[in-house]
Amino acid sequence: MKKLSIVSVLVLAVVAWSCNEDVRRTPGHVYMPDMAYSRAIETYAPIDTLAKQGIHYNRLPVAGTIKRGELLPFPLAKDKTGDTANYVQSTHIANPLPALDAVQMKEAERLYLVNCGICHGTALDGNGPLYKGGEGPFSAAPANLATGPKYVTMPDGQMFYSVTYGKGQMGSYASQLSTTQRWMVIHYIKSKQGGGKQAAAVAPATDSAAAKPAAAGAATAAKKPAADTTAKKK
Amino acid sequence: MIDHRATVKRILISALFFLLLSVGNKLSAQDGKAIFQNNCASCHSVFKDLTGPALGGVTSRGPWTDHKKLYEWVHNPAKFMASDPYTQGLKAKFGGVVMSPFENLSEKEIDAVIDYVEKTAKAGPATPGPGQGTPGAGGAQVLDEKDNSILYGVLTLILAVVAFIMLQVNSNLKKLADDKDGLPAYETIPFYRNKSYITLLTLVLFVIGGFYIVKGAIGLGRSQNYQPEQPIFYSHKVHAGVNQINCLYCHGGAMEGKAANIPSVNICMNCHMTINEYTESAGKLYREDGTQVDGTAEIKKIYAAAGWDATKKAYTGETKEIQWTKIHNLPDHVFFSHAQHVNAGKVQCQTCHGEITKMDEVYQFADLSMGWCINCHRTTKVNFGGKSGEEGNKFYSIYEKFHDDLKSHKKAPGALGGDSVIVAPLRDSITVADIGGLECQKCHY
Repeated sequence: MKKLSIVSVLVLAVVAWSCNEDVRRTPGHVYMPDMAYSRAIETYAPIDTLAKQGIHYNRLPVAGTIKRGELLPFPLAKDKTGDTANYVQSTHIANPLPALDAVQMKEAERLYLVNCGICHGTALDGNGPLYKGGEGPFSAAPANLATGPKYVTMPDGQMFYSVTYGKGQMGSYASQLSTTQRWMVIHYIKSKQGGGKQAAAVAPATDSAAAKPAAAGAATAAKKPAADTTAKKK
Repeated sequence: MIDHRATVKRILISALFFLLLSVGNKLSAQDGKAIFQNNCASCHSVFKDLTGPALGGVTSRGPWTDHKKLYEWVHNPAKFMASDPYTQGLKAKFGGVVMSPFENLSEKEIDAVIDYVEKTAKAGPATPGPGQGTPGAGGAQVLDEKDNSILYGVLTLILAVVAFIMLQVNSNLKKLADDKDGLPAYETIPFYRNKSYITLLTLVLFVIGGFYIVKGAIGLGRSQNYQPEQPIFYSHKVHAGVNQINCLYCHGGAMEGKAANIPSVNICMNCHMTINEYTESAGKLYREDGTQVDGTAEIKKIYAAAGWDATKKAYTGETKEIQWTKIHNLPDHVFFSHAQHVNAGKVQCQTCHGEITKMDEVYQFADLSMGWCINCHRTTKVNFGGKSGEEGNKFYSIYEKFHDDLKSHKKAPGALGGDSVIVAPLRDSITVADIGGLECQKCHY
């Protein structure tokens, strides 16, 4: 009897010990499977077998659905490949959001930094960590939203078109930012443009470049990035 | 008529730039780089086809052997293309996109850009220095740790053997002394039948065995350090660490819902439409079992899932599902919402998920046990976010009075309901537990 208990303790110990993998590739077992695993379909549960079970489930809302409290959707559709009609048309659409207050602006800044700053830079200079002046992994230069002449003069609607449907190497952000959030971010960008108060404080070099008109000469064009990089390194 | 006007305009602009340039600015490849980055780089790369074709070796292709044609093209692509089949072919190849006109670039500037492009193309694509990201160092450290534990084991074994020998010597000496004193010698019992040894061994085994059994039993249903192999070797170290992508860029649902969403492939494609190869910017990648990962091949897997044809630069429409393995699983009888913790509570992702920015393969950092939840609820102070609401959120503002009462050491308003006699201890803040963070039905219902 005594021997039996000793042996059983030993065996259990070996079993418990052998469950310790070097790299744990299995989640392990549970006491009460029916309490641990949901019978209801939870988020990220596999749903490819649902149709076989006779459950017809639509992952997308009905076309044209608008979330409660959300702004009306953008009236223009995405251009067909090779067409720019709607992109040009989008210049006529105004920002439906009124000017943001301090709290909303803070939130807009957060949204910008999370979603846009990675390429367009925290200073909006088109030099985010992914581009790093051409050193980063992203090989296309992101738009210089702070001082790029094209973007300073770009109407809100056209910016919204680009954020919603993507432009050039930029993808669509419609899945990451809601309609309201996209308009908020555009408010934020517009508030920083044209040598906004922060631009003056952060980077005087870029500010002076921004002050020059759009059709500035070659000398300015050549010197600007140098000034940008010094401002960033600081 | 219109053509004339454009020509005159161009001549005027060229003249203007010529004037500007003649003030003593000789453009070099260095300036070419700046002009390239300001005007061209958002669509063109030297080595890669982006929105437009790769510029390396441009002067040996199509009509561009003649620089004059190149100037014409840059100044007015639409007009040039009307009579040029080569560029019409390019338009078809690049999804119908036509280059924007750059009327304000002078011929000298264009030459400088070409100069820069050709020089860079000759130098070849930049490769990261070999000194970066040496996984060998990390591996050596792990080995060191293992070496130490073996060392301790060996030392313990040696000490045990020494102790055993000493005990034997002791008993032999005792026997000798007994012989000398003329005491009757007992029959020698071999050590494996010696009761005290057996008892000792049993006790030791019982303790060790018990320890592992208890540990195993507690671990049942918990998955700390769970590190499944994912269908695509997605390194959080490369993305969130080296490239500093914010967690919420991909997992934005953490602010709004129960689940911090696993990003859909279109979010991968935001960057990977352009980034089609891994250049070892974060060093070589290794799986946990030591095999090397081909980062570029892993990116190809995204293309397969998204149905992206990298050569045609178009979506084929044939998509595949990526079945990621969920790592952090809570039992069904526990409710957990990311929004409550990340958005309302302002908890950092790393508090529960560990140093994600250093993980190539993500593992479960916290044990996700109830004790772990409760401990955090007891110690975490509620973020009331100030009066103006600027530095935080107003989610907890209904508790603000409670907060002020506690601050002025009033009676605690009944943690268990009704008027409580417990006087609030001296403190300047209240924890999650104080506002119901320990209530069973907050998480179990």
